[in-house]
Amino acid sequence: MATITEGPRPMAMADYKGRVDPDWCPGCGDYGVLAAVQKALVELQIPNHQVVTISGIGCSSNFPGFIETYGMHTLHGRALPVATGVKMANHELTVLVTGGDGDGFGIGGNHFAHAMRRNVDLTYIVMDNQIYGLTTGQTSPTSQIGMKTKSTPFGNVEGPIHPIASALACGATFVARGFSADQKHLSGLIRQAIEHKGFSFIDVFSPCVTYNKDNTFQWFRPRVKKLEDDPAYDSGDWLAAMEKSILWGEEIPIGKFFERTDLPSLDEAEPVLKDGPMVGRPDHIDPAIARAFIEELM
Amino acid sequence: MSRQLIKGNEAIVKAAVLAGCRGFYGYPITPASEITEAAAAYLPRVGGTFLQAESEVAAINMLYGAASAGVRVMTASSGPGISLMQEGISYMAGAELPCVVADITRAGPGLGNITSEQSDYHQVVKGGGHGNYRTLVLAPHSVQEMADLTALAFELADRYRNPVVLMTDGFIGQMMEPVEFPQAAVGPRLPKWAVAGTEETRGNLISSIYLNSDELEAHVRQLEAKYEIARQRETRAEELYMEDADVVLVGYGIVARILKAVAAEARAEGLRVGVLRPITLFPFPTLHFKKAAKRAKVFIVVEMSNGQLLEDVRLALNGARPVEFLSRVGGNVPSHEEVLAFVQAQARCCAESEQVAHV
Repeated sequence: MATITEGPRPMAMADYKGRVDPDWCPGCGDYGVLAAVQKALVELQIPNHQVVTISGIGCSSNFPGFIETYGMHTLHGRALPVATGVKMANHELTVLVTGGDGDGFGIGGNHFAHAMRRNVDLTYIVMDNQIYGLTTGQTSPTSQIGMKTKSTPFGNVEGPIHPIASALACGATFVARGFSADQKHLSGLIRQAIEHKGFSFIDVFSPCVTYNKDNTFQWFRPRVKKLEDDPAYDSGDWLAAMEKSILWGEEIPIGKFFERTDLPSLDEAEPVLKDGPMVGRPDHIDPAIARAFIEELM
Repeated sequence: MSRQLIKGNEAIVKAAVLAGCRGFYGYPITPASEITEAAAAYLPRVGGTFLQAESEVAAINMLYGAASAGVRVMTASSGPGISLMQEGISYMAGAELPCVVADITRAGPGLGNITSEQSDYHQVVKGGGHGNYRTLVLAPHSVQEMADLTALAFELADRYRNPVVLMTDGFIGQMMEPVEFPQAAVGPRLPKWAVAGTEETRGNLISSIYLNSDELEAHVRQLEAKYEIARQRETRAEELYMEDADVVLVGYGIVARILKAVAAEARAEGLRVGVLRPITLFPFPTLHFKKAAKRAKVFIVVEMSNGQLLEDVRLALNGARPVEFLSRVGGNVPSHEEVLAFVQAQARCCAESEQVAHV
């Protein structure tokens, strides 16, 4: 009698659909980012249980609830340190970190710099809407000068942070920018970011339709220009990437700014982890090693 | 000035400006964000500065800086944000810097939710930061008190050179009530100890470091002496129907409003029920409780937390009278009906034990 063996069914978009429906406002840019992440996971065929999505606090930080992977909803601004801990414990997991501009560049700004410096192998997607949405519309670290918000009633007087330039300066090994309305392009960037071994940063323009009346979908659409459309652009050239990173106004570049693959990620550089993740190891120490260690201490 | 209908969170800022506050540095968090927004709108009008900090850690340290220079300063937050500020509050208490912090509490632990609990009591009243320090804590239960106690908070902060926390729940922060503001504004004054960038203040040093053990011990003892004076002079509580109360209801913030309504209804039924409402949570009104214990048979603590105020009430009574406890958490508020039923049961219990005593 013949035996029929079925191979595993390929993963589809529906397999990554979360058990909770997003509570974002209708028209929010974050819907496009969620779909782009799911699409990238389908293309890469990564099983749900091998992915962990980690976030901080904010509208976009509700993301882990809306996607069918392992998820962690952590403290405001602290998603990257938590993700670093996950990666130290089990570096075979695909780690996605999601959040907003306030979470990542404001309260989490310190961690943003250090996670990149360490080249932790994860993909950090910031849904950048240049406003605090969850607390109903205060200025953010990426709000433009002059922008009127509930906490800048006379117009913002502070200059914004430059996320792409900051990431380049801090040593991120993959740096890109996407636009929520161009899902196909964004999903391609996310896919490359996940495939990249090391810290991948993607700043995504994800307009807030409720509280940011300045930087809307309509505002971005004619301005965004893909770096991929310029055949002369070399994403291996750090200085060229820096130059592009500060462009803002009539032309705003999106796409892959920079990638380098010659540096080891944190788990590759850490000698203790060369035999595999900590989680898979026996929970006892070889008695001979233990004895030698105790003798050394005494 | 005539009365105006205003939200609790906004009343704090108007009162702060009138009390001479000229620096507000904060970070948005529900249900306290309106304070930050109102500060952004009002402070520039009186020559004050407002900054939205990148985090609560940054905000409290901005206060440290501006307070050191002698400016009356304030911030506002809630649960998780107050946790982040604890490091700076400890440093300010150590360096003896005045500031006012409004905590419009929400539910925890962790992210919890944005509805109201009173579970910040421990971290605020007992001092959530490290070291031997206290903060003075005022607990408004109406929008009028949000204004009045904010003014008092600035006074106390300067008088004791110590952080003062105005702690209430999201209900009092979000509700609107008529408020009367003071007729006259307090102008900014430069304290003698400030580092003001002048020839006279060149010798002033603001620091919480005492590397010598004896010096640090002396510093801590001096802080304690200060808190002892506050215990003697600043303790405040409100008493309602307390002259002949058998059953004493204890609560603060929104709970106190419910207790007052319940007490009135119980009185109508002939039950001798009173309300003792701490207005200062530190210093705690221990003497009010000792006095009440002379006559009352039972105390009932009603709290939107798992028994944090309860501990201070037990300490104040020191076993003199039984303390019963009614708690709701998670953002749930004890209803008028459930508190009344609880009170009726306790009052019956008292009456029965009295009959037994007479037999």
